[in-house]
Amino acid sequence: MENIRKFAAVAQIKWLCISKNTTLMSGIVITILMVFGYKILYGLNSGGHLSPVMLSLLLNLGISMNICIDGFLMVGTEVAEEKEKHTLRVLMTSSVTGIQYFLGSIIYPFIITIVLNFAILFISGIPMEQVSLPLFLVVNIIASLTSCIIGMIVGICAKNQMSANLISYPFIMVFMMLPLLGGISEFLHKLSGFVFTGVITDMAECFANGEEYILKPLAFVVLAGELVISLLVFLLLYKRNGYEKD
Amino acid sequence: MEQKILLKLSHISKRYKTELALKDISITLHKGEILGFLGPSGAGKTTVIKIITGQLHQTSGEAMILGTNSANIDASIYENIGVVSDNSGLYDKMTVWQNLAVFAKILNVPSGRIKEVLKQTGLSEHSKKQAGKLSKGQAQRLVLARAVLHKPRILFLDEPTSGLDPSTALEIHKMLLDLKEEGMAIFLTTHNMDEATKLCDRVALLYDGNIVEIGTPKELCLKYNHNKKYKILLEDNKEILLEQTPENADKISGWMKQNLIQCIHSCEPTLENVFLQVTGKPIDA
Repeated sequence: MENIRKFAAVAQIKWLCISKNTTLMSGIVITILMVFGYKILYGLNSGGHLSPVMLSLLLNLGISMNICIDGFLMVGTEVAEEKEKHTLRVLMTSSVTGIQYFLGSIIYPFIITIVLNFAILFISGIPMEQVSLPLFLVVNIIASLTSCIIGMIVGICAKNQMSANLISYPFIMVFMMLPLLGGISEFLHKLSGFVFTGVITDMAECFANGEEYILKPLAFVVLAGELVISLLVFLLLYKRNGYEKD
Repeated sequence: MEQKILLKLSHISKRYKTELALKDISITLHKGEILGFLGPSGAGKTTVIKIITGQLHQTSGEAMILGTNSANIDASIYENIGVVSDNSGLYDKMTVWQNLAVFAKILNVPSGRIKEVLKQTGLSEHSKKQAGKLSKGQAQRLVLARAVLHKPRILFLDEPTSGLDPSTALEIHKMLLDLKEEGMAIFLTTHNMDEATKLCDRVALLYDGNIVEIGTPKELCLKYNHNKKYKILLEDNKEILLEQTPENADKISGWMKQNLIQCIHSCEPTLENVFLQVTGKPIDA
């Protein structure tokens, strides 16, 4: 009960901060507008009907952008902002434990990323009969969770919001750009199969092409492995210095 | 009557790589007492607070807080203590009320208490204002309100009036004396000697990682009053400074008999002078 109360309080703080952070909120809006805008633009060029290639490009763009920009940044920037404004130490000296802070920090970004991925799926206009919603939900949950944990890694390493953005770039380059560039190079496409964002965009691509998606062992290992690795890296960093180095 | 000991430090030392920040700190804090920890910037005052509150580990020695060794404390200790540092932050985009409400939730405090501390800190009329729009004094009062929300048994204050204007500092002082009256033990670090003299029941002078003197402000000032002097204002508005000698005692006695003295003051050293005498360096050096 006490754990839930404190976790809920941290989550409430995070929600109040995220909802009043115009940069983060515009990230969400831009992702949706971008998918919507590209859908209209692609539609204009193809007489209102999106080809499977266009549809998969659209999904690829929206989902990678959501997972990377919204997931990483929302969590990472918020932790960094707490350090910058000296509220993190206040929280940690108010009887909040590390795990309560961790869960409270990721819960809303996690939910937002999942919901947004579904929104992107619906906005793209993909025929729903082509989509395996349970499979998409499972992969979406794992990918969003990994994204939030990477956000915590960014937050734990960053001293302020500026450095959080800087630290995020390599992650964004790998996890967002690789699946996106996979469309123009076969080599990069193969490489993107080794990142969790590549797995989810690959699945979306299959749905767009009207093909049945089967989660192959490699894809499962990538999804589960990167979730575990990101969690281990986070724990290692947390064990070394806590959330904030003295 | 002997008051209950809430905090006890025994031979605490702290080494950062090659630098020995604290050498041998031993001190106690009792219920309803304000203990001042005085020293120049970099003397180790904040390090002591961080060790006591479990944010740092000492290199040697033992710190007991509310009967628990600080090496064994967990997050639950913060349900009984309050910490205010000179850079304790606020959630700028949240209102004053929200800033307190989320901590009330964490510390399981009823919302009625929020109203109480807002009234106590004079922030009731600002409860709907964004914390980022408060003046520096109001923000510091909010930080203090948050720290006492759960009625902690010990309140740690690290330079609580640093950078505040005199009238706001006075308001904070009044609040601290009220909290002391309620039985709260207050551990105050400051380099403001006037503040320490006014507020503290006992003060410890920290220099170069050691406590070089400890006692009540009055005791310390009297102890280092080696060269007793008196400042006298005579009826003709002439101000005279006299040392304590048999001749001067006769002179003062004579003026008194003739009713020539408007006022007379003994000139004990201030805590600032005591610090200078003990360490050979001024506190703001």
